[in-house]
Amino acid sequence: MSAEPLDEAVALRAAEWFFLLQSGDATEADRQRCARWRAAHPSHALAWERAQRVGQAFAQLPPGVALPVLGRARRRTAVRALALLLVAAPAGWLAVRQTPARDWLADHRTTTGERQALALADGTQLQLDTASAVDIEFDSAQRLIRLRSGAIHIQTAPDAQVPPRPLRVATAQGTLQALGTRFTVRQEAGHALVAVFEGAVQARPAAAGVGALVLQAGQQVRITRGQAGPTQPVAPQADSWTRGVLHVRDMPLRDFVAELGRYRPGVLRCDPAVAGLRISGVFQLRDTMAVLDSLPQALPVAVAYRSPYWVVVTAPDS
Amino acid sequence: MSSVPTAHDRALSALYADHHGWLLGWLRRRLGNGWDAADLAQDTFVRLLLAPDGTPEKQRGWQLDEPRAYLTLIAKRLLANLHRRRALEQAYLETLAQLPAPLAPSPEQRALLLEALQQIDAALDGLSAPVRTTFLLAQLEGLGYAAIAARLSLSERTIKRYMVQAMARCIVHMP
Repeated sequence: MSAEPLDEAVALRAAEWFFLLQSGDATEADRQRCARWRAAHPSHALAWERAQRVGQAFAQLPPGVALPVLGRARRRTAVRALALLLVAAPAGWLAVRQTPARDWLADHRTTTGERQALALADGTQLQLDTASAVDIEFDSAQRLIRLRSGAIHIQTAPDAQVPPRPLRVATAQGTLQALGTRFTVRQEAGHALVAVFEGAVQARPAAAGVGALVLQAGQQVRITRGQAGPTQPVAPQADSWTRGVLHVRDMPLRDFVAELGRYRPGVLRCDPAVAGLRISGVFQLRDTMAVLDSLPQALPVAVAYRSPYWVVVTAPDS
Repeated sequence: MSSVPTAHDRALSALYADHHGWLLGWLRRRLGNGWDAADLAQDTFVRLLLAPDGTPEKQRGWQLDEPRAYLTLIAKRLLANLHRRRALEQAYLETLAQLPAPLAPSPEQRALLLEALQQIDAALDGLSAPVRTTFLLAQLEGLGYAAIAARLSLSERTIKRYMVQAMARCIVHMP
C-alpha cells in the first residue's frame, strides 16, 4: 500500500513528537527541536506527515459509528475489553456529536477539490467550497444553515413565508444573520471568517453576553466564541472561488500555497526560503497540477514532487 | 519493470502452473464458494510476485521444499484478512442499522466510511487489546490520558506509552 517503508524507530519518534506538540505542553524550544528533527532526514519528514494524516483520518470518523465497529470487529480479548467500556459508557453514546466527524453525516458535503452549487427550498443560492459540509435546517421560525467545515457562499432570496423567516448560518464560534445579502463564511480550526459582498450580515459570537456586530458590504471579520472583530476590508476577489478560480494580487507565496492546498488531496508545502515571494494572477482551481507546473515560469521557484500527493514548492536549486 | 522474463518470473510461472489448481481446490473447501476462493488463490500468487527482495524464499529463487505448505501458509493469512474484513463490515452494518434515520449516511458515504474503517482496522491489527482500546478511546472518544488510565486501571505513563506505540504502528502501516 505505502510506497515508502518506514523504520519503526523513526515512526516511534514521530509519534512522540506528535503527541508532545498536540498536548499543549510543548514549549517553543520543543517546537524548534521537532522542526530540526523533521528536517534531519526525509524519512523523519515523511513519518511526521503520516502522523498528521492518521490524526486527520480519525478526526473524520463519526465516533458513534467507528468506536463500536472498530471495537466489536475484533475476535480476541479486545472485543471484550471494549465491549465492557461500551456498556459502561454514558447514555447518548451513539449520538453523533458536533465534531468534524459530523461531516460524514452532513446533508451536503464536498470532497477535497470539489465544489457544489445548491438551490435551497426558499430560492437561496448556496455554494460549497472544497472539503466543506453543511446541514440545512429550515423550520417555521428560521432558515438555518449549519456550517460543519470548509467554506460557503450564500446569495439570499427573500423568504416567501409571512412573516419572512430570518436566514442564519451557524458556525462553531457563533451565528450570522443575513440582512438581504451575498456573503461567504469559512470555518477554520479556532474561528470563522465572514466576508460580506452585498447587503449586510449580523454576526453574533456564541458566548453569552457578547454583543452582535453588523457587517456592511465590503467588510470582513473573524469570529471567535468570545469576540467578533475588528472589521477589515474584504480582499478584492475573495469570492473568486465561487467562479472556479483563485484570483490573487500581490499575495505572499506562503498564503497562496496554503489556499491552493485546500483544493488538492495530500500534502502541499511551501519552503520557508521562498515563502515571502509575491504572486499575482488568476488560477484555475479545477486543475491544481497545472497551476503548480506554471509556478516556475512566474517565480524563481521549483516544484518538487515526492509523490503526486506530496508536493513541495522550493527554491530552484535546492 | 522489464518485459524480459527473469529467473524469478519463470520460477513463479512454474509454481503457478503446478499448484494453482490445487490451491484453488483447497480454498474452495475452506470457503464454500468459488468466487472468494478464486480471488484468494490469485492474491496468494500476487503476494509472491510482489514479495520484497529480502524474502528468504525469493532469494532462493522460489525453489521451495514444500511448495504447497508454503502456499497454504500465505493463503491462510489472506483468509484471516478476509474474515476480519467481513466481520468488520458486519459490525458496521449492524451499527448503522441502530442509527436514527436522519443520521444515516448516504450509500456513497457508507462506502467511504467502510473503507476508512477497514484501513484503520488493518493498521491496528496485531496491537495488544489494551493498546488498541487506549488508542481508540483517545482518538475517537476524545478521552484524556487520565480518564483512560482510570477506566483501564493503568497508570497515565502506561497510557502515554500505549498511545505512542499505536500511533507508530499507524504511521508505518497506513497508506
